[in-house]
Amino acid sequence: MIDLLGYAAFFLSTALILGIITLGLNLQWGLTGLFNVGIAGFVAIGAYTSAILTTPEAAERVGGFGWPILAGWVAAMAITGLAAGLTGFATLRLKSDYLAITTFGVAVVVQLVTLNAQGLTGGPFGVAFIPRPFASLAETPVAFNFANLAVVAAVTLVVYLALEHLSRSPWGRVLRALREDERAAISLGKSAKSYRIQAFAIGGAVMGLAGAVQAHFIGFIAPNNYLPTLTFQIWAMLMVGGAGSNRGALLGTIVVWAIWVGAGAFSSALVPTDWQARTAALQIVAIGVMLCVILLVRPNGFFGGRRRK
Amino acid sequence: MTPILDVRGLVAGYEPGLNIVRGASIHANEAEIVVVLGPNGAGKSSLIKAIAGLVPVSAGQVLLDGQDITATPAHLMVRKGLAFVPQTENIFPLLTVEENLRVAGGVLARSEVSPRIDEMFSMFPDLARQRRLAAGSLSGGQRQMLAVARALIVRPRVLMLDEPSAGLSPKFVEMVFAQLSQIRRAGLTIVLVEQNAKAALAIGDRAYVLVEGREAHEGVARSLWDDPVVAELYLGHRRAS
Amino acid sequence: MNLQFIADGLISGSLIGLGAIGVTLTYSILRFSNFAHGDLMAWGAYAALTVLGAISALLGTVAPIGMLSFGWPLVVAALVAMALVGGMALLLDWVLFARLRAKGQSIIVVMASFGASMALRSLLEFSFTSKPEYFSRAIQMALPVGFGIRVTPDQVAMLLVTLVLVTSMHLFMSRSQTGREMRAYSQNPALARVVGIDVARIVRATWLIGGALACAAGIMVGVLVQIRPLMGLDMLLPMFAAAILGGIGSIPGAVLAGLIIGLSEAAAVQLIGAEWRAGAAFVILMAVLLIRPAGLFGVSER
Repeated sequence: MIDLLGYAAFFLSTALILGIITLGLNLQWGLTGLFNVGIAGFVAIGAYTSAILTTPEAAERVGGFGWPILAGWVAAMAITGLAAGLTGFATLRLKSDYLAITTFGVAVVVQLVTLNAQGLTGGPFGVAFIPRPFASLAETPVAFNFANLAVVAAVTLVVYLALEHLSRSPWGRVLRALREDERAAISLGKSAKSYRIQAFAIGGAVMGLAGAVQAHFIGFIAPNNYLPTLTFQIWAMLMVGGAGSNRGALLGTIVVWAIWVGAGAFSSALVPTDWQARTAALQIVAIGVMLCVILLVRPNGFFGGRRRK
Repeated sequence: MTPILDVRGLVAGYEPGLNIVRGASIHANEAEIVVVLGPNGAGKSSLIKAIAGLVPVSAGQVLLDGQDITATPAHLMVRKGLAFVPQTENIFPLLTVEENLRVAGGVLARSEVSPRIDEMFSMFPDLARQRRLAAGSLSGGQRQMLAVARALIVRPRVLMLDEPSAGLSPKFVEMVFAQLSQIRRAGLTIVLVEQNAKAALAIGDRAYVLVEGREAHEGVARSLWDDPVVAELYLGHRRAS
Repeated sequence: MNLQFIADGLISGSLIGLGAIGVTLTYSILRFSNFAHGDLMAWGAYAALTVLGAISALLGTVAPIGMLSFGWPLVVAALVAMALVGGMALLLDWVLFARLRAKGQSIIVVMASFGASMALRSLLEFSFTSKPEYFSRAIQMALPVGFGIRVTPDQVAMLLVTLVLVTSMHLFMSRSQTGREMRAYSQNPALARVVGIDVARIVRATWLIGGALACAAGIMVGVLVQIRPLMGLDMLLPMFAAAILGGIGSIPGAVLAGLIIGLSEAAAVQLIGAEWRAGAAFVILMAVLLIRPAGLFGVSER
C-alpha cells in the first residue's frame, strides 16, 4: 500500500514535469501557432544548464560552481529562453516550415553537443550527482517521493497560473489575434514578429525549466533522455489534451503518460525479454498513429473545451 | 437563337451562407462580346469565377451550348470549351512564354500543340519575339496578351476575362481591347468583366450592370452608356469612391 | 593535406542531393516540409533488402557484376522497391496528407508528417530491429585514382547512377508535359486549375517521383554504408538544408546544395572530428536562413 502510494507520487511527479513541457508547447503552438519539432533539444538545454551550474566539481568536465538549485533553474530558463529566442529570430520572418526545420536542427545539434562536448556535458555518460531537493529525506522513500511531488506540483502550479495570466493579458490577446487573423498580423508588421519571438522564447524557457526540474528530480542526466521520441510524446500529449487550453495540456499529458507507462508495464510483464525492444518500437508506432488519427478526426483534442478556429 | 453561354439564377459564394452572387442570370450569343459592369463589390468577379468553377455554386445553372456545366471542376472547364483569364497572376512567371502556352496546350492532342502555338505567335508577334524569355520579364500589356493567347490556344467556345484593363496604361488598354474585338470577329464569344466601362462598352455588343450580386440592367452596349439610370447607378458609384 | 575527404564528400553529397530533390518537390508542389521523407528512404532500403532476400532464396547466389559488390538481383530489387515506395507514398497521401491538406492548414500537414515519420521508423525497428543490415558483406578494395584519393567501384557506380537519375529528373521537369505542369502548379495552383491542369494527377506524380527517388537514395546509402531504421532520420537535416540552400523548387539547386553540404560534412570530419559531422548541415542551414533565405536558385520567399 505504502509502495503503491510512493509509486503514485513518483508517477504524478514525472507526469507533471512532462506537463510543464506541454504547457510550454501550448504557449508556442496552442496560443501562437508556432511549430516546434525540437522540444527535446530545448528541454536538454535547460537540464544541462542547471545540472552544470549546481553539481559539485567533477574531474572530467567544467563544473563545481555549486549554485543553489533555484539559481540553476532560473539560469536554465534564461539560457533556454535565449536559445529559443535566437531560433525564432532567425526563422520567424519566413514561412512557418522554416521554424519547424530549424527547431529540428536545434535538437540534432543539442544531441551532438551533449554526446561529444565531453568537457562540458560529460558526453555519453552525462552528468551525475545533481543535487536533489529534500535529499535528507531519501532514507524514507515515501516521504521523499511526496516531498518531490510537492515541489513539482508547486512549480507546475506557478507555471500554469503564469501562463493563464499571460494568455488572458493584452499580450496574450495580441498573440491569439495574430494566429487567427492574418490581416491583424500584417497590419502589426514588424511587431508581429517580435510578439511571436517573445512567445517562442517564453515557451522555450518553460521547457528549459521543466528540463531542469526533471534533472534535479532524477539526479542524473544523459543524452539518451532527450531523443526525438520525447518531442513526439509531448506533441501527442498536447494534441490529445487540445491545443490552446492549458488545462487540456495538463490533462492530456497525464492521460498519455498513463497509457505509455501502462503499455510499458504490460509489455514488460507479458512479452518475452528478447521481444521487448520490438514492443517498445510498437508503442511508438501506436502513439504516431494516434497523433495522426487525432489530427484527422479530432483536431481540437479531448479536454480543450474551447473550440479553436 | 439559343445562347452559347446561358447562366440562370446563379447563387455562389466562398463560404456557405455568405453568397456574393445572388441569383444572377446572364447570357452570351455566338460571336458576341458581352460586358459585365457594376460597382465595386457587386460580385462581378465572383460571378465570372463561379461560372469558371472557381467559386462554389449553391444554386442556379450554367449551360454551355445547351450542356449543363454547373460546378464542373475548374480544370475540366477548358475541355468543355470555356476559357478564363483571371485578373491578376494570370501567367506562370517562371515558365518561358512558350512554356506558358505549351502547358495550357496539354488539353489538345499532342500533334496539335506545336502548330497551335505557332498560330498564337502569328496572332501575337510581340510574344513570338520573346518566346524563350521567362514570362515574368514581360511588360504588363504583354503579360495580358500572353494570358489571352494561353486561353485561346485550346480553341474555346467562350472566352471570359476578369478586368483585362486593370493596371494597364491607356495605350495598352486600347491594344488589348482592339485585339479582343479582332478575336470576336473570328467567331469567338467573349464575356468581359470590367471597371473601365467606357473602353469596354466601346467594343461590347451587349452589357449587364450587376448590383448586389444580380443583374440590374441589361441592354445594347452603346445605348447603355447613354442610359441616364445606368449612368446614375454606375457614375454614382464612381463619384462615391 | 589528405584530399580523400573531397571524394567522400562528393559521394555522400550526391546522395543528399538525390534525397533533397524529393523534399524540394514536395515542398514546392504540396506546400509542406515532409518530415517523413527520410523514412521513405529507410523503407526503400529495407524493401530492396527484402526483395533481394526473396530473389536469392529462389535463385541462390548470383555472381556480382564486374568489380561491384552486388549483382543484377539488387538492380531488380531496387526497381521493385522504387515502385513499392512510390506506391507507399501515394497511400500515405491518400490516407493522411490529402485529407489534412483539404482542411487548408499546411502546418498541420507538417505535424502529421512528423507523426507518420515516427510511426514509420518505429515500424521498421519493430520488423527488422535496430541491428544494421547489409546488401552484401563482401569487402571491396578502394582503388587509387590519383592525388592520394581512393574510391571503391561501388562508389563510382553509385555516383554514376545518381548522375543518371538527376539528369533524367532535370529533363523530365523541363521537357515533359507532366514536368511543365508540375512547375506551373508550384508557381500558381489556382491558375494551374484554370489552364486545365489536373491537380490530383500532379499530386500523384509528385509522390511517385519523390518516393521513388527517396527509395533510390536509401538503397545507395545501404550499398555504400549500411541499412538501419534510423538512416533516414539522420539524412533529414542535411536534406532539408540542401533543399533550402538550393532554393525551394529548384532541382539543380537541390543537387548542387547537396554536394556543398556533403563536402562541408566531409571537411568537418577532416578538420574538426567525425563526431561533429552532423553539425555542418545545421550551420549551413542557419547561414542560409539569416543571409539568403531564398537559397542559391530560389526566386523569393513565398
